[in-house]
Amino acid sequence: MMAAIKKLVKSLDWTIVIAISILMTIGILFIYSSGVTSAGDIVSTEYAKQVVWVVSGLALLLASVMLDMKRISDYVPFIYAFFAASLVFTRFFGKVVNGSRSWLGIIGDYGIQPSEFMKIATALMLARYLENSLHEPSTFRRFVLSFAIVGLPMGLILLQPDFGTALVFIPLYLAMAYVGGINRRYLLFFIVSGGIAIVMTIMPLWQRIIVAKPSILLRILYEPPYIYFTLLVIISTLALSLLGYRFFKKNYYYWTAYVSMMFFIGLGASIVGQRMLKDYQVMRLVVFLDPSVDPLGSGWNILQSITAIGSGGISGKGFLQGTQSHYRYLPQQSTDFIFSIISEELGFLGGIVIFSLFFYILLRLVFSIRSIRSVSCTSFVAGIFGILLFHFTINAGMAMGVMPITGIPLLFLSYGGSSLWAICIGVGISLGIGARKFDS
Amino acid sequence: MSDYSEGSKGSESLKFATLVVLATFIFVSYTAYLFYLQVIRGVEYQRKAMTISRQIEKLPAQRGEIYDRNYNLPLVLNVDSFALVVVPAEIPPEMRDTVFSRLALALDEPLDEIRRLVSPNYYRLFQPVEIASSVSQDVIFRIAERMDEFPGVSWYSRPKRNYLESGSFSHIIGYVGDISREELKIYYNKGYQSGDIIGKAGLERQYDSLLRGKDGRQFKTVDVRGRRMAPVSQDVEAPLMGKNIVLTIDRATQILAEKALGERIGSIVVLKPATGEILALVSYPSFNANTIVEKGGNNEYARLLADPRMPLIQRTIQSSYPPASTFKTIMTTGIIEEKAIPLDEKILCTGEINYGDRVFRCWIRTPGHGRLDLAGALAQSCDVYFWEVGRDRLGIERIVSYSREFGFGQLTGIDLPGEVAGFVPSPQWKERRFHEKWLGGDTLNMAIGQGYLLVTPLQLANMMAMVVNEGVIYKPHLLKEVRDPRDGSIVTKTAPEILVASSISKETFQKTQEYLRGVISVGTAHYPLSTKAVLVAGKTGTAEVGLADRWHSWFVGYGPADAVNTDESIVVVAMIEASNPWEWWAPYATNIVLQGYFAGQTYEEAAGKLGLLGRTIVAGARVE
Repeated sequence: MMAAIKKLVKSLDWTIVIAISILMTIGILFIYSSGVTSAGDIVSTEYAKQVVWVVSGLALLLASVMLDMKRISDYVPFIYAFFAASLVFTRFFGKVVNGSRSWLGIIGDYGIQPSEFMKIATALMLARYLENSLHEPSTFRRFVLSFAIVGLPMGLILLQPDFGTALVFIPLYLAMAYVGGINRRYLLFFIVSGGIAIVMTIMPLWQRIIVAKPSILLRILYEPPYIYFTLLVIISTLALSLLGYRFFKKNYYYWTAYVSMMFFIGLGASIVGQRMLKDYQVMRLVVFLDPSVDPLGSGWNILQSITAIGSGGISGKGFLQGTQSHYRYLPQQSTDFIFSIISEELGFLGGIVIFSLFFYILLRLVFSIRSIRSVSCTSFVAGIFGILLFHFTINAGMAMGVMPITGIPLLFLSYGGSSLWAICIGVGISLGIGARKFDS
Repeated sequence: MSDYSEGSKGSESLKFATLVVLATFIFVSYTAYLFYLQVIRGVEYQRKAMTISRQIEKLPAQRGEIYDRNYNLPLVLNVDSFALVVVPAEIPPEMRDTVFSRLALALDEPLDEIRRLVSPNYYRLFQPVEIASSVSQDVIFRIAERMDEFPGVSWYSRPKRNYLESGSFSHIIGYVGDISREELKIYYNKGYQSGDIIGKAGLERQYDSLLRGKDGRQFKTVDVRGRRMAPVSQDVEAPLMGKNIVLTIDRATQILAEKALGERIGSIVVLKPATGEILALVSYPSFNANTIVEKGGNNEYARLLADPRMPLIQRTIQSSYPPASTFKTIMTTGIIEEKAIPLDEKILCTGEINYGDRVFRCWIRTPGHGRLDLAGALAQSCDVYFWEVGRDRLGIERIVSYSREFGFGQLTGIDLPGEVAGFVPSPQWKERRFHEKWLGGDTLNMAIGQGYLLVTPLQLANMMAMVVNEGVIYKPHLLKEVRDPRDGSIVTKTAPEILVASSISKETFQKTQEYLRGVISVGTAHYPLSTKAVLVAGKTGTAEVGLADRWHSWFVGYGPADAVNTDESIVVVAMIEASNPWEWWAPYATNIVLQGYFAGQTYEEAAGKLGLLGRTIVAGARVE
C-alpha cells in the first residue's frame, strides 16, 4: 500500500498541482481585493472562507488521486444515483440563491451545490458507460444512451433553474463522447441542431433589439405563422428523403434526411425555447453582442467589466488599486467577474499569467492521456478538460464582453466551495489516471 | 481495458490533437483580444474609467426683483432655496430602490411620488430630473453629509420667490411656477428648458424674459470617485441676472385703493391720464401668491380655481360689465360734438317713456326729473333725456361710433396677460348674430350704457382719461422702468404711447368736463364725493343685471377737476359687483381714494377724515 502511494507520489504531475495552487492563491488575493471598499474597509469575509475551501480542496485533490477508475467502476452507478437523488431533493428542499434552488444548507453560511458534484459523477458514469458499450453494435443506441446519462442531470439542473451550470454538461458530453468514440455523425448532428436551436431562440429578440432592420428572410425562421410553414416544408423533405432512402438506398437521400432532421429538431427546440425563456433571460444572453442597447440594465455589467479590464493597461493599477472594482462599479466581483478585477489590478501581464496557467493545465491533461488505452480513463480526463475549458472560455469571455453572461464561475479563482471542491476531485482523479498510466 | 488495434492509433492522436487545437485556438484568440483591450485600447479605457461622467451643472440666474414706482422697497424678493435633482443614469440599478427610499425619507415625500417623477423611461437618462424645487438648506446639508449614500443626486441653488406684498398685488405681479410640458413646447425655442421656473401669471409672466435672466452652465467632469475634476475656465458660462423692474404702481395708492374697496367683490383702477401709468389696480377677491409658489401650491391653486368668487380673475381687465350711466359721459361728448341738440334745449322727464310695447322707466320714477337740459340731465343722470336724444337726435350709428372712439370694444394693450376687450354692439352685429333687426329699444338700452354693451373697468378709466386729456388716451401700462440689477441704472424707461387720438374738438371735452363737474357739485354724486382735498368731476353708474334688489355700482371720476396741467391728475374707477349685498359703495370708495391720494393720507386717515371708516352705505333702493 505504502509502496503504491510512494509510486503514485513519484509519478504524479506535480506541475499541475502547483499551477492550480498558484491560481487558487491568486483567487484568494483577489477575493480579498473584491471585498475591500474604496475607503479601505473590508466588507466581506469571503476571502477567509475561500482559504478554507482552497485548503480543503487541495486535500480533496490529493486524496482523489488515490481513486482508481478501475476499482471504483462498480460504485459509479451508486454515486451517480446518489447525486441525481440529491438534485431532486435540492429541487424541493434546497435554498434559493439568486433565483434558483440549487443549494443544500449545511451549517450556517456554508452550503453545497449538488449540481457541481453532479458534473463529476456524470463524468464518471459516462466514462464507465463509454467503456462498457464499446462493443455495442448499434452506434445510434450508444449515442442515445450516452446522451441520456448527461441529459438526466442537465434536465434536473434546468429545473432548479440554473441555466449556466446545466450548460456545462454539453461540453462535458461532447469532449467525452468525442474521445470515447461516439459516431461523429451524431455529434455533428447534435452540435448543429443545438446551435440552430440556440441561435433561433435568441434570434427574435436579437433582431428586434440589436439589429435595427430585421431581415425578412430570417423572419420565416421564427415568426409565426411562417415558421409553421417552414417546419412543414422541412418535414415533407424529411419524409420524402426517408422514403427515398428506404426504396433506393442512395446516399444523398440519407444526407438530405440528415440535414432536414437537424433543422427540424433545431427549429422545433427554438420554438420551445422562445416559449419557455422570458425576454429578460434571453436579453442576458444576447446583450453582450452590443451592450450599449441596454447600458444600465444587462449591459451595465458588461460595460463596466470591459472598462475595468481595458483600464488595467499593460501592468495594471496595482493590487487593491482598481477603481472600477473598489468603487463598486463591478458587480459580483468575487464570483462572476473575478477576472475583471484581476485584469484591472494586474493588467495584461497578469492576464497572460492566468491564461498561461489554465492553458498549461489543459495541455498537461491532454498529454497525460495520450498513451492511455482505457476509454473510461481518456474520456473522463477529456470530460474534465471540457469542463475547465468551457468555464474558462465562458467566464473570461464574459468579462471581456465576448461571451454571454451565464453566471458560471472561473474555476480555481472564483469564490465558492462546491465548484472548487468538485473540480479538485475531478482534476485529482485525472491526475491519478495520468500517474497510473504505466501501471498495467 | 480493451486494446485498440494499431490502425486506430492515428484516429486517437487526431482526437487529442483536436482538443489541443481547440484549446490553443481559444487561448490565442483570448490573449489577442486581451491585448487589444488592455494595450491597444488601454488608454481609452483608462480615460473612461476616470471620467465616469460629464455633467452639466446649472448655475441659476437670479430672477429680477420688482419694485413699485418709488424704487425703494422691493415688492418681490428671492430667498435661498434649492432644487434637488437626480441623474437617473448615475444611480447604479441595484441601488435605485435604496436611493429612492432614502430620498423619500430625506425630503419627507411619499416614495411613490419620487418613483413617479423618475419614471422607468428615465432610468437611462443622463440629464438631471428635478424631484423637488424648494428644498431648505437643512435638508441639503443633511444629504450632503452622506453624499456617498446618494449616488446621482445633486442640487442647485434655486432662489424662491417671496412676495412681500400679496392680496391685490398678487393679481398684478402674478407668480411663478415650474414650466409645464405645454409651455415648454411653446417656449423651447426661446431657450427655456425642462425644470425652468417661468412666470405663470401677471407681470411675472408678462415680463418673464426680462426677469428670468439667463442661466449659466458649468460643465463638470466627475471622476470614478464622484469627485469633481478641475474645472476648465471655458467650461463655465456665467449666469446673467434678471433685470429689476420698476412698476408704475404706487404702493401706498394700491394699498389705499385695496382698503377702500374692502371686502367687496369688485375692482378699482387708479390711472394717471397724462401718461397712461397705472397707480393702482385692485381686484377683490384676491389671493396670496406665496401660497401658490410654496410646496403644495398646486392644491392651493386648485382651491382658488374652484372658488365661485373667482379670486384668480383680475377684474379690472378680465371682467366686463355694462357701463350703465357712466356711459352718459360718452353720450354727452357725442351730443356736444355733433350738436345733436342745443345745449340749452330742455326735455321733459316724466319718469318714463313708452316705446314699442314697453315702458322704459327712468331711475327716478314718476313724476320724474321734470324739464332738463344736457348739463342737468348728466348731473341728475336722467335716462329719459338720453333716451330721447340718443334715439331721435344722435342715432345708434353715432352712439356706436363714439363708443369706439373712446376705445370701447378694443383691447387697451395693458402689459398684463389675459385682458378682455369688452363689447360694443351694433345693428349689423345684431343681425349677424341673432338674425334680428336692431330695434329702437336696443338703442334706448345702449344710450344709457345697458344692454349688450360691455366694458372693463380699465376701459372706463381710459374713457375718463380721454376726457381729461381732451382727446388722447395713452396706453395704460404697469412697467415704468427696467433697471440693471447690479448698479440700479435705468436700462429702459416706458415712454407714454398714444393709444387713441380722437378727432373730437377740445372745446367739446372742456364742456364735458364742466358737465361732469356738475355731477359732483349739484348732481347725483354730490353727497358721496365729499372730499375737500381735491376738486372732483365724474359720473356714477348703476347697472341693471336682472336682479330686483342689487345692481353693479360704478363710479368713474378724476381730480383735480380744476387742473391747468393734467400731469398731476388721476382718474379713479371703482366698480362694485352686484354679487355683493347691495351697497352704493363705488362713489364712496372713489371718495376715499381721492382724499387719501391728494391729501397724502392712508386709508384709515382718509376714511376717518371723511367719516367713512368702517361704514357701509346701505341704500334700500336703487340710486344713481
